Amino acid sequence: MSTNTLTERYVHEVARRIPADQRDDVADELRATIADTIEARESSDPDAAEREVLTEMGDPFRLAARYADRPLSLIGPWLYPTYIRLLTVLLSTVLPVIVVLTVVIDVLDGNDAGSVIGSGIAALLTVGAQMIAWLTVMFAVIERVQHRDGPARGADKWTPDDLPELRDLPKPDKQGFMAGAAAIWNAFLLVLIVWQHTAEPYRTDGGDRLQVLDPGLWSGWIWPILAGLAALVALELVRVAARGWTRPLAIGYALAEALFALPLAWILYRHEFFDPDFLAAVNGDWTTPDAFYTVAALGVLAVSAHEAVKRFREARR
Amino acid sequence: MPDVTLEDLILSQAQELRRGTVVLACLALLDEPQYGYALLETLNDAGVTVDGNTLYPLLRRLDKQGLLTSEWNTDESRPRKFYRVSPEGSRVRTGLVREWQDLVASIARLTKEAP
Repeated sequence: MSTNTLTERYVHEVARRIPADQRDDVADELRATIADTIEARESSDPDAAEREVLTEMGDPFRLAARYADRPLSLIGPWLYPTYIRLLTVLLSTVLPVIVVLTVVIDVLDGNDAGSVIGSGIAALLTVGAQMIAWLTVMFAVIERVQHRDGPARGADKWTPDDLPELRDLPKPDKQGFMAGAAAIWNAFLLVLIVWQHTAEPYRTDGGDRLQVLDPGLWSGWIWPILAGLAALVALELVRVAARGWTRPLAIGYALAEALFALPLAWILYRHEFFDPDFLAAVNGDWTTPDAFYTVAALGVLAVSAHEAVKRFREARR
Repeated sequence: MPDVTLEDLILSQAQELRRGTVVLACLALLDEPQYGYALLETLNDAGVTVDGNTLYPLLRRLDKQGLLTSEWNTDESRPRKFYRVSPEGSRVRTGLVREWQDLVASIARLTKEAP
């Protein structure tokens, strides 16, 4: 059955895109069906008939998607409105804030106008592109996960309360908005941490560029923190799409919060948070009191625990 | 809009109308077990036009939903998968037929009133 005929190549192209448990069955059935169809043409030229039949069956990718009941769009009609709304919020509020921040830092560094404008445009393009890319990836994943559970449940519970006021500031459902805002905030933190690592934004009087956070973290504790933040963003976005916290979502949220907060509290407690060179340059002769770190570590734990408990409470409603 | 003929308009709207009828037609025809290509022929001969690349995935979906049952028949030289209506499927068919008749009656009433 593994001869290199057009039919075999076609069946293979369809089958390899289908979940493994149905693959052989679909392949066998498709093979028989194609053979039946070719035979029924009673053509004097079987090769031409085969080509004709396969052309009519169409793109194997499309056929496989139909067999696997998979969406043929990256973000389907159920999630598209939410996607567009969140993208608009990100690009119209968070992006300008980051760009302004970049420009302000550059101005404070005493750079000339040309380089200030340059870094502003660079921030606009790279951060903007990152926002679009990651949001799109998130929603494409949600689309696929949701599809497996049956056709898009949850995302269609639009109520008239979601209508923006005329000539007034939009007042969408508060909790959904808060979840969206939390996602944006956590994404912002994530970007900020990576940015301060790659851009080394602090400049000492001697002209050296420094990171704000301890560079040693990048061979250790920063990774669970970043992973936790990414998971928090993902879960908040799922919450926005599903329009409510569920128990599994809240459990996932608590785990992600722990992944983020525990290492963070630990490195704060161990005074491994800031780049020592950066601290020395900023503080001069003054040393940061130990109490600062202890309070910060406890604060992180308290806020995270509070957030997790809040999610469970919202899930119970 | 350039060059959209009346026939094209009717054709595209008719396609929308026909979309849901294939399931009902399959449930109606599959009291006797039949395999994919034969069913396609029967449907097209009966005036229910459907493409293979729509019908074959549909049959598997109805099978998965429990409206059809399937079985490989290896008696002939070419093994084929045969589908037939399950008890659940025949109950669904009854409901769909009722729905269909209501629809026909409604449309008949509406189109009679229209000039």
